[in-house]
Amino acid sequence: MALNSRFWRTTPFQLTVLHGLVFAVAVMALLGLIYARTAGYMTRQIDAIVLSEAHALAKPGPDGLPDRVQAAVKADERAIAYYALFSADGVWIAGNVRALPAGMIPDGKPRVLKGPAFLPGARAVVLRLPWGEQLFVGHDAKVLSGLREIIVEALLVSGALILGLGLIAAAALSAQPLRRIESLRVASQAALSGAVGVRLPVSPRRDEIDMLANLANAMMDESERLLWEVKSVGDNIAHDLRTPLNRLRALLYRVSQETSLAPTDAAMIEQALAETDALLSRFRALLRIGEIERCDRRAGVKPVRLQEVLAHAGELYEPLAEDRGVAFSIALDPDAPMVEADADLLFEAVGNLIDNALKFTPPGGTVRVRLITLAQGPRLEVADDGPGVDPQERDAVLNRFHRGRRTLDTPGSGLGLSIVAAVARLHQFTLTLSDAKPGLVVSLDCWPRRLEA
Amino acid sequence: MPKILAIEDDPTTGREIVTELEQHGFEVEWVADGRDGLIRAVSGDFDAITLDRMLPRLDGLAIVTVMRSTGVDTPVLMVSALSDVDERVRGLRAGGDDYLTKPFASEELAARLEVLLRRRATAPPLTQLTVGDLEIDLLGRVARRAGVDIKLMPTEFKLLEFMARNSGQVLTRTMIFEAIWGYHFDPGTNLIDVHMGRLRRKVDRPGQPTLIHTIRGSGYALNPPEQPWR
Repeated sequence: MALNSRFWRTTPFQLTVLHGLVFAVAVMALLGLIYARTAGYMTRQIDAIVLSEAHALAKPGPDGLPDRVQAAVKADERAIAYYALFSADGVWIAGNVRALPAGMIPDGKPRVLKGPAFLPGARAVVLRLPWGEQLFVGHDAKVLSGLREIIVEALLVSGALILGLGLIAAAALSAQPLRRIESLRVASQAALSGAVGVRLPVSPRRDEIDMLANLANAMMDESERLLWEVKSVGDNIAHDLRTPLNRLRALLYRVSQETSLAPTDAAMIEQALAETDALLSRFRALLRIGEIERCDRRAGVKPVRLQEVLAHAGELYEPLAEDRGVAFSIALDPDAPMVEADADLLFEAVGNLIDNALKFTPPGGTVRVRLITLAQGPRLEVADDGPGVDPQERDAVLNRFHRGRRTLDTPGSGLGLSIVAAVARLHQFTLTLSDAKPGLVVSLDCWPRRLEA
Repeated sequence: MPKILAIEDDPTTGREIVTELEQHGFEVEWVADGRDGLIRAVSGDFDAITLDRMLPRLDGLAIVTVMRSTGVDTPVLMVSALSDVDERVRGLRAGGDDYLTKPFASEELAARLEVLLRRRATAPPLTQLTVGDLEIDLLGRVARRAGVDIKLMPTEFKLLEFMARNSGQVLTRTMIFEAIWGYHFDPGTNLIDVHMGRLRRKVDRPGQPTLIHTIRGSGYALNPPEQPWR
């Protein structure tokens, strides 16, 4: 998986970007507020200027007003002010504005000067003089528009900086946790695939990831402890029960060696020996399942030629088939690829499958062993034409001791398929039971099921 | 009389081992402690040793390792409650000659010891094995009974060879399965019996004296006709 695509999804990245955005909005709000307050203040200042200048011009009376207007125009060296005198019906008399700008009403209230000739923010007032003439005084807003330019520029630059720096910081901040998450993932994957003693790495920082890793490690410690406890309990039970069973068997064996036994007694002793052997073999099978389940999965795994395993197993079981009067066929795809597996365990699984199939096939039936190659990998199949297994029972037969209702009179420990299931689990192979119409097909897909990352 | 050293800390198992082996005509010395066991083991007074894997003071693995590194090659049968395959491999790699998981049927222990003793006695490589009128040519891979060739499959030949090499001894089904097929799991059902039946039909033809004997409750033995099984 590419590291980049996961960048966007990390918490530090998202937090940093979010933080950057909030900060940018805050800066914009701050600059906007400064601008609004400054603009308001300056507008009031300009309003005061235009009003006071208008009243100062008008105060001495109508005599010489046009001259005073002209003089004011002349005195405005920075060319930021507008002065004009219009007759009552709006005809220009004096000043640097030839006509009243649109929207100007002679009511003595300062307004915004609109028009292409004026800078935005310019203000003006028109006074209706007692003698009917109209006096127009305006003031440009160079300072205000300059300030606005500065603030807009500041907003753009600071916004870009904040976002850019934010993204870089976010990426930098996410890289470290991503590396740690990656190392946690690797360690958990190893633990998931059965490595005993693997723990998640913990940094000296003691942050929230370490907190979780510590928690997970404690959980692993606990389950490992339980695992060992179960193992030792299992071993103890096995030992406690198998030892007296073995003594019982030894006694029976000694009795069976007596030559003075009556034939009926000898037969009964023989039967008792056989029953004891069946019990012991069931114990061995149970312990064996536990053993396989606890197996260190990497030990003994090598590339294995399934053809060899199957041919070997076929050779071992073919006489048994003949003895039972069951036809035995074996068809192996010579081109099936090798698989990574423990050859001994695989042989044991295949042996149990064939043994199971032979057990449930009536004399005159057929057991077929096949190795085929699918797109994903090799599949081995053992099919019989015995009573089969009901679809709703198929999961259950893989559990320890379960035996289908239709097969209650067949001898066996009932553990053969459980051993196969344990071997399949160990290799992450898929074991499937299906209908052979009639009979049962057990297939083992010899490729590892993908673990969801 | 072969002398056996039994190093075993569990008193019950120890007593059982001694009783069983003495019944089979062995002279047994029993030591319950790892360090004493090692001292006795390196003395060279014994023909074979049964060695418990877990012992007080000195571990069974350590004992066999020390024995082998000091050049003591007495056959060692490791006996252990640890049944994992890894444990078996570890025991054999350290220098054990065979590995038996506890608890075991007592005749299994005796049978395995006999094989170990025999293996030691017949150290020079043989080219021919003879049991009664059965001849096995190990170079030509041919078996003959009373001068007549017996047609054997490769596995059947291996089986007959294994039995002839250990003729006169009880071979349990587990021992046979381990020796011929090389696997350590329970072959179940009557798999070995079926293979033995096939071999028997080829070796003991009607009218000929029986060579392959079924030993009730234990296993099989290949015996010359002049020494029928006890």
